[in-house]
Amino acid sequence: MRRWSRSAVVVTAMVATGALLASCGAGGEREEAPAEGSTVGITEDTVTIGGHFPLTGVAAAGYSEIPTGHKAYYDYVNANGGVHGRNIEFVVRDDAYNPTNTSQVTNELVLDDEIFAMVSGLGTPTHGAVVDFLNDEKVPDLFVSSGSLQWGDKPKERPFTFGWQPDYEIEGKILGDYVKKNMPDAKVGLFLQDDDFGRDAEKGVRRFLDDQIVDVQRYTSGNTDVAPQIAALQASGADLVLGFTTPSYTALSQLVALRLRYQPKWFYSNVGSDPALVGSLLAQFSEGAVKGGAQLLDGVMTTEYIPGTDAPEDPWMRLWQKVWDAHGDGEELTNYRVYGMSQAYTFVQALQAAGPNPTREGIVEAVERAGGDFEGPALAPFRFSSDSHMGVSGMQLVELKGGVGEELTPVLVSDIGDAPIDEDDSAASDSPPENGIPDQETVE
Amino acid sequence: MQQLFTTLLTGLTLGMVYAAFALALVLIWRATRIVNFAQAPMAMLTTYVALVLIEAGYSYWLGFAAALLSGLVLGALVERFVIRYVDPRSEINPVILTLGLFIVLHALAALVFGARYRSFPAPFGLRGFQVGDTTIALTGFGIFTILSVLAVVVLLVLLFRYTDVGLKMRASAFNQEVARLLGVRVGRMLTLGWALAAVVGSLSGLLIAGGGLVHPSFMDGVVVYGFVAAVLGGLDSPVGAVAGGLILGLSLSLVSGYVGSQLVSLAALAILMAVLLVRPGGLFARVRERRV
Repeated sequence: MRRWSRSAVVVTAMVATGALLASCGAGGEREEAPAEGSTVGITEDTVTIGGHFPLTGVAAAGYSEIPTGHKAYYDYVNANGGVHGRNIEFVVRDDAYNPTNTSQVTNELVLDDEIFAMVSGLGTPTHGAVVDFLNDEKVPDLFVSSGSLQWGDKPKERPFTFGWQPDYEIEGKILGDYVKKNMPDAKVGLFLQDDDFGRDAEKGVRRFLDDQIVDVQRYTSGNTDVAPQIAALQASGADLVLGFTTPSYTALSQLVALRLRYQPKWFYSNVGSDPALVGSLLAQFSEGAVKGGAQLLDGVMTTEYIPGTDAPEDPWMRLWQKVWDAHGDGEELTNYRVYGMSQAYTFVQALQAAGPNPTREGIVEAVERAGGDFEGPALAPFRFSSDSHMGVSGMQLVELKGGVGEELTPVLVSDIGDAPIDEDDSAASDSPPENGIPDQETVE
Repeated sequence: MQQLFTTLLTGLTLGMVYAAFALALVLIWRATRIVNFAQAPMAMLTTYVALVLIEAGYSYWLGFAAALLSGLVLGALVERFVIRYVDPRSEINPVILTLGLFIVLHALAALVFGARYRSFPAPFGLRGFQVGDTTIALTGFGIFTILSVLAVVVLLVLLFRYTDVGLKMRASAFNQEVARLLGVRVGRMLTLGWALAAVVGSLSGLLIAGGGLVHPSFMDGVVVYGFVAAVLGGLDSPVGAVAGGLILGLSLSLVSGYVGSQLVSLAALAILMAVLLVRPGGLFARVRERRV
């Protein structure tokens, strides 16, 4: 017995030493070629990327259409020769807007599908569950579909993650500034989603409107009874309600306001104000009171940062329509698909900038160095640099009329914190290239 | 004052929906001694049946009737072809089975009807009534909700207390073997119990959907609160289910309006624990009396 255990010790020691040597060897190899970087997901003729989206469940309304926009644009690019000769393959996985599922499907994407980069993973709570994993694994985590600050305000801690859309704080700031200047007597009520979305926005709004706010109400996503919250806003006497809500809750709050005959001026964040989607949710109620769904949103203020379906003559919209007609799934072109195609456009720019031999590290560096100058559909430039991974820097306020946004302000740009708010329409005049595919130079 | 009034009225309407759902759970419990967690997706499916008909241009009431009828059929089918084959002596097996059904029906609905939100019309106005300058947060549909749930309770009490069928159903739930010896066709009674419960469940689905948004998991919140309401009332008593539903609806509405909506589900748990600590059998339980 003792003899056996002695030999066991020897064997164990040998195995351990071997393993140690092997791991030293592995480490040595990695150190020898640091400049090469990781090329997982890249082959001679393909680049495989992935994303997590809610294709089912509470958040699927609208959001499930975003990946279809991505796919249509990648198909269009692939049909025109791809990027540096490679076709883009986009793997979409359903997380049902549940962070537990997001962790699981991200594991599958990174470890099984071996994606080169995560592109446009959707949702604050969902993506928040995987952002550290992606950075630990050094997987580029590009253009998250959420306006939370955490994707871009600390690039040192999360070097591989980049935002895309304007963050909720600058939306709050730009809105707060407008209300302060144009509606100084308004009694402001806030109707917020009880997570980063509402908190970041509130931070921005309070910079300007702290003394005008009479009440703040928060709803928990998943609890569809918002009557007590709207009743409290009504009781507080608020005559301007700023809603930072998802589309379903925009519709729900409008329904409850109808029931309570509460008629303040409404603002909804661009996240939850899509007139087509909210209108379609409300359209059914025509038997009671609402005539056309979209008309119920007449007079509602919101923000815009990319051209949408309400401006079919915009050159970008004509491009998206062309792409969608050729590569879409036959359904109607919606603002969510436009959003997806706009993101896909930015990814193609990033991949071009990373050059003919892209690596995971290389594409991150390319976006940091060239991303601030990417010309695209967004009305304001990106803030990408080595100090900031925040996305689009501005937007304009509009008022909805018959489902179309009418300008209230020019394009206003800002940044988080106490950065000033300035007019800047330099990016608004970007027009798409002839062939609809960006021509971004390789970052040397 | 207006806010309190609004919050209470909202709670009242919501409580009635919970009550309707709790009634369905109580019915199945009385008929078969099973807690049916699949009640929520069954009601969701039948609500979609109504929605499909209404969207095809038929009247609201035709959709309403079709949903109740399909509830009746679905309940009977589930009992006859699924639940019947589980060993009734085990308490946990049927419960696990209903949870399994929950998931299957969910996925089925997402496949057939799609997972997106759709709005569901209401047969009456959605604006609150106006008395002088004050708006009463009660819509025509809210009143319809309250009245229809009260009607269902009365009908159920009549059924169980004053009819032969009701007595047979209770007998076969209480002791199948003895009931069979006395000439009750137990199998039929069980099927009937499930069918009736599914009708009541369908009603609660239609009531909560009316003037709101429908998607495959729209009943999931209701199954939790409806279950709590049923347990509050003692799981055995229709009147208790309604009382439980009202208590829950009103208090959750108050919590949501005055404390914070993030505490709603926690409050439901607190109420449940408090009631069970004081009266373990539920507020309207008669178990103790029987033992004496």
